[in-house]
This record gives sequence, C-alpha cells and structure tokens, in this order.
Amino acid sequence: MNERSFIFVSEMRIRDTNKELSVKHHAMELLLKDGFDGFSMQKLAKACDISVGTLYIYYKNKEDLIIRIGIEEGKRMMKATMKNFSPDMPFAAGLKVQWENRSAYWLKNKQASLFFENIKHTHYAEVILNEISDGFRPTMQQFVKNSIAKKELEFLSFESYWSVAFGPLYTLLKFEQNGKSVGNRPYKFSKKVMYQTLELVLKALKP
Amino acid sequence: MHILIFKTNIETEDARKELGSLLNSHRSIIDWNIDKEDVDKVLRIESELNNTREIMTTINKAGFICEELPD
Repeated sequence: MNERSFIFVSEMRIRDTNKELSVKHHAMELLLKDGFDGFSMQKLAKACDISVGTLYIYYKNKEDLIIRIGIEEGKRMMKATMKNFSPDMPFAAGLKVQWENRSAYWLKNKQASLFFENIKHTHYAEVILNEISDGFRPTMQQFVKNSIAKKELEFLSFESYWSVAFGPLYTLLKFEQNGKSVGNRPYKFSKKVMYQTLELVLKALKP
Repeated sequence: MHILIFKTNIETEDARKELGSLLNSHRSIIDWNIDKEDVDKVLRIESELNNTREIMTTINKAGFICEELPD
C-alpha cells in the first residue's frame, strides 16, 4: 500500500520536502550520536522541531524510519558508485572509476557514509541491502568475473579480493573522517595519495 | 484514509493481543501497529474514518491508557 498517496489524497496533506530532508538529516545525526538502540522518535521529533504525531504520519515506527532512510540514501550511494562504470571495462580502468566514485560520494556525504558503516552490523542492514543492491552486486560480480577471464585480475577468494581492492581506499577515507591517521598524525585526503595507493593495489592484484 | 496516532501503555505481548482482537474486528480500521521500541508505545492506526475519539474510548474501556498524540 502506498500510504503517502493516501495521505495526500485523503487528508490533503502536501508533503513538505524540506521537512522530510530535515527528518532524514537529523535522524542520521541522532543515530550516529546515540546509536541504534538509543535513538528514539521523541528525540528525533524534538531535533526537527515537529511533533511526534507528525513523524508517525510519515513513518510507521522506528524500524520503518531507519529502513526507509537507509534505502533512500543507499540507492543514492549505489547510483553514485556506478557512475561512468561498466563491468566490461579493463580491470585497472574500472577499479579507478570505482575508487573515484566511492571517494567522491564519501567526501560529499560524510554523514551518510558513517551511517552505512554503523548500520552494517545491525539487523536493519539485510533488509536495506536487499532493496538497494539489485543491479549493483551482479554488476560488480560481472566485473570481477570478466577481469579474471581476461587475465587482468588474480583469482582470489572474495574476501581477499575485496580487502585488497577496496580496503586501502576505505582506510584512507577513515583517516580523512577522523582528520588523523595512525598515531594521531594529522591527515587530509588527497587525490594524489589515492592514485599512488591505487597503483600499488593494481600491482598487487595483477595475475 | 486517516492516520490516527496515540500514546498508550500497551507493552506486553498479552496486551497487544487483547488490543488486536479489539482493533481487528473494528469496521473502520484498515491497519494498525504499535512501536514497541518507543517509550510512548505509539499506536498508529490507519482508519477509513476520522474516528479518534471513538477508538480512544474503545481502547480506554478495555482498561488501557490511550491518549491522542497531537499532529
């Protein structure tokens, strides 16, 4: 059932996009601050300066809210990750596009990126991933399969491949998030360092 | 369709079942759920009618706290 359209038709309640964006922003902020257990609809309503009743008009409950925000933002993230990418690309070029897209999304959407880092280990993750990874997972799998077939990529277990192919990138992005690298050294993300690191990753993954 | 939002004291599985038998047999109610994880145990009802008062009275009569949460 599409409850949004029902609301619109029967109560003549016109959806307020700004309000919805505010809810999304504050929800992610509170979820990061208080964790998934500490998050409540009251705190969210207060942060958005709306009544709890209004919040429940848009969302059925806390779980519905977290999942719907996760799906919406997740779809945006997947779309950003797939920009200018094709599974038929040569491995080096394809991985470069992936690194560029993922770092660009992360740097532009720090709050959402952290939200996804945190949601990974909750029971919400499965529902959200099922909704958003249609197309994404098969495309990435095809990319790996093609690259192995073309002898551009070493045949490895998935975990081994992923940790080498993307682990270094996310390490750099987490340094950026904290503003510090190992041993509290001040750190600022740079494309130069990203490309240097990518070169090493490509070298390592060559058969 | 109208969305009616209430604050309740319905916490236990038994209380939810009792409420369920009241609401499932109600002619105007399309769907309902309780936010178990919320401190206000918010009851959210999708109703064909804007019958907040009537539903509140029905639930109160069954011995539960049920107050309207302002829109």
